[in-house]
Amino acid sequence: MADSPVDALLKGSSGRTTRGMLRIIILAIIAAAAVSSRLFSVIRFESIIHEFDPWFNFRATKYLVQHGFHSFWDWFDDRTWHPLGRVTGGTLYPGLMVTSGVIYHILRFLTIPVDIRNICVLLAPAFSGLTAFAMYLLTCEMTVSPSAGLLAAAFMGITPGYISRSVAGSYDNEAIAIFLLVFTFYLWIKAVKNGSIMWGALTALFYGYMVSAWGGYVFITNLIPLHVFVLLCMGRYSPRLYISYTTWYALGTLASMQIPFVGFLPIRNSDHMSALGIFGLIQLVAFAEFVRGFIPGKQFQRLLTTMIILVAAVAFLGLVVLSASGVIAPWSGRFYSLWDTGYAKIHIPIIASVSEHQPTAWPAFFFDLNFLIWLFPAGVYMCFRELHDEHVFVIIYSVLASYFAGVMVRLMLTLTPIVCVAAAVALSTIIDTYVLTTPGPLPRAKSSAESSSDGLRSTRGAVVGITSYVSKAMITVSVAIYLLLFVAHCTWVTSNAYSSPSVVLASRLPDGSQFIIDDYREAYYWLRQNTPENAKIMSWWDYGYQIGGMADRPTLVDNNTWNNTHIATVGKAMSSREEVSYPILRQHDVDYVLVVFGGLLGYSGDDINKFLWMVRIAEGIWPDEVKERDYFTARGEYRVDDEAAPAMRNSLMYKMSYHNYHNLFQPGQAMDRVRGSRLPAEGPQLSTLEEAYTSENWIIRIYKVKDLDNLGRSHNNAVAFDRGQKRKRATKRKGPRVLRTE
Amino acid sequence: MNIFSFLLPFVSILPAVLGATSKSDTFEKYQALSRFGPIDLDDSSYDELTSKPRDYHVAVILTAADPRFGCILCREFQPEWELIAKSWNKGPRSDDTKLLFGTLDFTDGRNTFQKLMLQTAPVLLLFPPTVGPSARVDDGPLRYDFSGPISADQLYTWITRHLPEGPKPPLVRPLNYMRIVSFVTIMMAVVTLFTVLSPYVLPVIQNRNLWAAVSLIAILLFTSGHMFNHIRKVPYVVGDGKGGISYFAGGFQNQFGMESQVVAAIYAVLSFATIALAMKVPRTADKKAQQVAVVIWGTVLLGMYSFLLSVFKAKNAGYPFFLPPF
Repeated sequence: MADSPVDALLKGSSGRTTRGMLRIIILAIIAAAAVSSRLFSVIRFESIIHEFDPWFNFRATKYLVQHGFHSFWDWFDDRTWHPLGRVTGGTLYPGLMVTSGVIYHILRFLTIPVDIRNICVLLAPAFSGLTAFAMYLLTCEMTVSPSAGLLAAAFMGITPGYISRSVAGSYDNEAIAIFLLVFTFYLWIKAVKNGSIMWGALTALFYGYMVSAWGGYVFITNLIPLHVFVLLCMGRYSPRLYISYTTWYALGTLASMQIPFVGFLPIRNSDHMSALGIFGLIQLVAFAEFVRGFIPGKQFQRLLTTMIILVAAVAFLGLVVLSASGVIAPWSGRFYSLWDTGYAKIHIPIIASVSEHQPTAWPAFFFDLNFLIWLFPAGVYMCFRELHDEHVFVIIYSVLASYFAGVMVRLMLTLTPIVCVAAAVALSTIIDTYVLTTPGPLPRAKSSAESSSDGLRSTRGAVVGITSYVSKAMITVSVAIYLLLFVAHCTWVTSNAYSSPSVVLASRLPDGSQFIIDDYREAYYWLRQNTPENAKIMSWWDYGYQIGGMADRPTLVDNNTWNNTHIATVGKAMSSREEVSYPILRQHDVDYVLVVFGGLLGYSGDDINKFLWMVRIAEGIWPDEVKERDYFTARGEYRVDDEAAPAMRNSLMYKMSYHNYHNLFQPGQAMDRVRGSRLPAEGPQLSTLEEAYTSENWIIRIYKVKDLDNLGRSHNNAVAFDRGQKRKRATKRKGPRVLRTE
Repeated sequence: MNIFSFLLPFVSILPAVLGATSKSDTFEKYQALSRFGPIDLDDSSYDELTSKPRDYHVAVILTAADPRFGCILCREFQPEWELIAKSWNKGPRSDDTKLLFGTLDFTDGRNTFQKLMLQTAPVLLLFPPTVGPSARVDDGPLRYDFSGPISADQLYTWITRHLPEGPKPPLVRPLNYMRIVSFVTIMMAVVTLFTVLSPYVLPVIQNRNLWAAVSLIAILLFTSGHMFNHIRKVPYVVGDGKGGISYFAGGFQNQFGMESQVVAAIYAVLSFATIALAMKVPRTADKKAQQVAVVIWGTVLLGMYSFLLSVFKAKNAGYPFFLPPF
C-alpha cells in the first residue's frame, strides 16, 4: 500500500509534496474549526462542566489525580448510594478519567501548570480534532478520490450530530469514544485490506482502549463479526480476513477483559456471542479451504454438507444447554431493548424514563445532519459500484446504525461517522466530475466501469465526462451554496441547541439583554457552605452526580442507576403521603431533601414533570402502595390545580414543590407557568419537613427533615399546636382520619 | 377502635358457622361449571356467586366484548383471561386456596354494571372470602383498573399477590401447534424451493442492484423516522379541524405516519438526483442530452431541497435558513 494517505503526505515528488503540504494545512484548519465551534459555551458562560454525568466523571478524575491510579482502581465510594455505597473503581469505564489524568501529568511534567478542570472541559473539543483526522484516514480507505477524505473530515468536524456530545464542558465518555470508534474502524479496514497481524493487533489495542472508555464498544463487538459474516456469505473468504479477524478477536477479547467492569462478560454475555460464534465459524471455513486442496471435488462436497449439518446441530444443542443451565446470561436489558422496542417500557421503566432513550422523529435527523442525510443514501449506493470488502463494511454499518439511531436518539452519535463517510463519497464524486475543467473521461472511473460486468445499472457505459461549461458552473455553484448552507446550519444549531451547560441557564429579558439563571450552583453552594460534611441529601436520581460534584454531600441515589430498588425507595418517598414518607426518610438518615421546581420561571425540566416516572418506578416495586392511576384525575388528566387527584395533592413532591408558593402572588392568583394552570388558593401544609433554602428563581428548593418531636407528639399535632389550634379542632379539620399504627 | 377490631372475629365467625354447608355447595356447583376457562355469568349468577358469606375467592372480569361497544381492549384481553382461568383450573394447586373465575359481559349484566356505577370496561374485581382462614376484615372487592393493554402474566401476578400463601399453578401458555407446524412447513417449502429453483434464484440473490435497492429502502425508512411511528403508534394523518387533512404535525418532537413517508420520498428524490448527477450524466455521450439532464436534475435537487427546508422551518419555528423557491 504505497498509496496510503499518510505516505502520501510524506513521500513523493515535489508536486505531491505540495499537495501533501496543502492537505496537512487543510486538516489542521479543519481541526481548528472543529475545536473552535465547540467553544460557544465557554465563551458565553465560563469554563464549567455541563449537565449530569460529566459531573461524576469530573469528580472521579479529581479523585484519580489526587490519590493516584491504584487507589482509584480500588475506590469504594461511601458518599453515594447511602447507605450502600458504590464500588466505583469496579463499576465505571475508566478510559476517560485515565486519559485526562495522563494529559494532566504530562503537562505538569512539561511544567505547564493547568487546572484539572480546564483539561476536563477542553478534552472533548481536543478529541474532536483528532476525530476529524481519523475520519480523513477512514474515508481515504473507501475511495481513491482525493477530495473525499477532506470533505469527510470537515463534515465530521462540524456536524451537530457529533457536536451534541462533544462541546467544551461536556466531559462524557462519548468525548473520546467517538474518536476511538472511528479510529478502530480505520484500523480494521486497514487490517482486512492488508491481512497483516500488525494492523489486526493495533485494531485490538484501540478496541481495548474503546472498551475502557464507553459501553458503546458493544457496537464494534457486533459490527466487525457481522462484516466478516457477510463477507463469508458472499464467498469472499481470504487468508487476509482470517488473519485480521482472529488477531483482533483473540487480542481484543483479552484486552477488554482487563477492565473490571467488563470482566468475564465477553465470554458469557449474549451481546458478545456473535463475535465468538464468528470466531468459530471462520476456523471451520479456513479448515474447509485447507481440506479443499487435498480432496477431489465430489467428495469434498459431501464432506462439506455433512460437516455443516453436524456443526450446526452441535452448536445449536450447545447453545440451548448453556443458556438453559444459566452459564450464558440471558438477553441483557439495554441491548435487548433495541430489538424488541416495547420491552423497555414494560420491564425496565428506568431505562425508558431517560429522554435520550426515546425514538427519533425525522426532524431530529435533519437537525443533526442537515444535507448529509440525503447525500447519505447516494453515498451508500456508490459503495455498491466497486463493492470491495471495505465497501461492504460501509453498507452494513449504514443500515445497522440507521436502525439504531431511529430507535434511540442517543445512538445518532454512532450513525454520524458513517453518514459523513458516505456523504463525502457522494459529494466528492460530484465535485470530481463537475469541477474538473478539462472535458474527457476520468482516468480512474473508466477502468472500473469496463471491468464490472455485473455491476450497477447506472454504471453501464463508458464515462465521457461533462462537456459543457454551463452544466459545470451550474452544479458547482449549487454545491457551493449547499455547503455554505450546511456550515451556517451547523453553526446555528451548535450555538442555539447544544451550547447550554444546563447547569447554568440563559434567557433573554424583554429588552433583549441576557439574563443568567444560576440557581443550581447557588443552591449547591448553599449546601456546601451551610450543611454538615456528612448531611445526606435526598433528591431524584438526575441530580445525584451534581450534588456529589458541586455540593460534595452524600446522596441516596445518582445517575449511575445500578440499584433499581433504591431508586424506587426514593420514588416512593417522593410520591407518598408525609406519614408514609417520613419513616422512609428517617430510616435512610436523610437530612435534607432537594427538589427542582420550575413553576415560577417556566422551566419545564422540573420534578413535577418527571414525577410520573418516580411513581412508575416506585410502582414497579410496591404495586400495592403506589399506583400510577391514583395520580390522575377521574378523567385521566395529570393536573396540579384545584382538581388535582388527592394522591397527587398529598404527595411529598407536590407539597415540597408548592410549599409557600401561593404567598408570592395575590390571593388566589398563584400560577404555575410550566403546567399553565392556576393553583389552589390554599397552599399545601408540610409538617415533617421545614423549608431550609429556596434559590433565587425558585428552581431549587431544599427542605430539612425535622427531628422527632421533643414532647413525643406527632409532627401533625406539633404543627397544629404551633399554629395555635386546639388539638380536637386540628384533627377534625385535617380531613379523613388516618389509622396510626404504633 | 380497639374494641371494634377485637369484636370483629366473633362477628365474622357467626355466619360462617351458620352458612358453612350451603357455601361450599355454591363453590362446588360453580367449579363444576368452570372445568375449562372462566364461567359466563349473568346478573343473577353474579349475585349468587358474590353473595356473602363465601369461603372462596372470586375473580370476575366485567367486560363488553360485543363489537357494538367498540371496546378493543375487552376483546383483546378475552383470550388472555381465558388463559389465566384455564391455567388455574388445570394446574396443580392446594385445596386450601379456592378461586373461581367469571366473566360478566355487559349484554348479560347491565344491572350489575349500573349497580357498580361502572363507566369503563374492562374492570377486574377480586372478591376475597368472608369466612374461613383467609377471610379479610375489609370484605369489599379489590379492583384492578386496566390502564392499557396488558398481558396475562401481569394480571396473574396481581391476582396471586392477593391470594393467601400456598402453592399456585404457574401460568401455562398452550403451545401454539399451528404456528410450529406452519413454521416447519414454510421452512421446508423454502428449502425445497431454493434447491429446485437455485439456478434461477441465485442470480437474483447475487444481484447487486437488488441489494442496493433493499439497503437504500431500509436506510430511507429508518432515517425518516419509521421506527418512531412504530414505537409511538402515531396516527397516519390527522384532520386540521376544517375538514381537510394536515400532513405535517406541529412541533419538533412529533410526526405523523404520512409525514414520515413524504419525508422519505423527498430524501429518495434528492438522493436519486445526486446519483444521477454523479453517475448517469457523465456517461451520456450526447452533448445536448447531457446538458438537458444536468439542468433537469439540478433543478429537481434545488426545488426538493428548498421544499424540505420549508417543511423543516414549519416544524421548527425559529429556524432561520431557507432556499429560494419555497
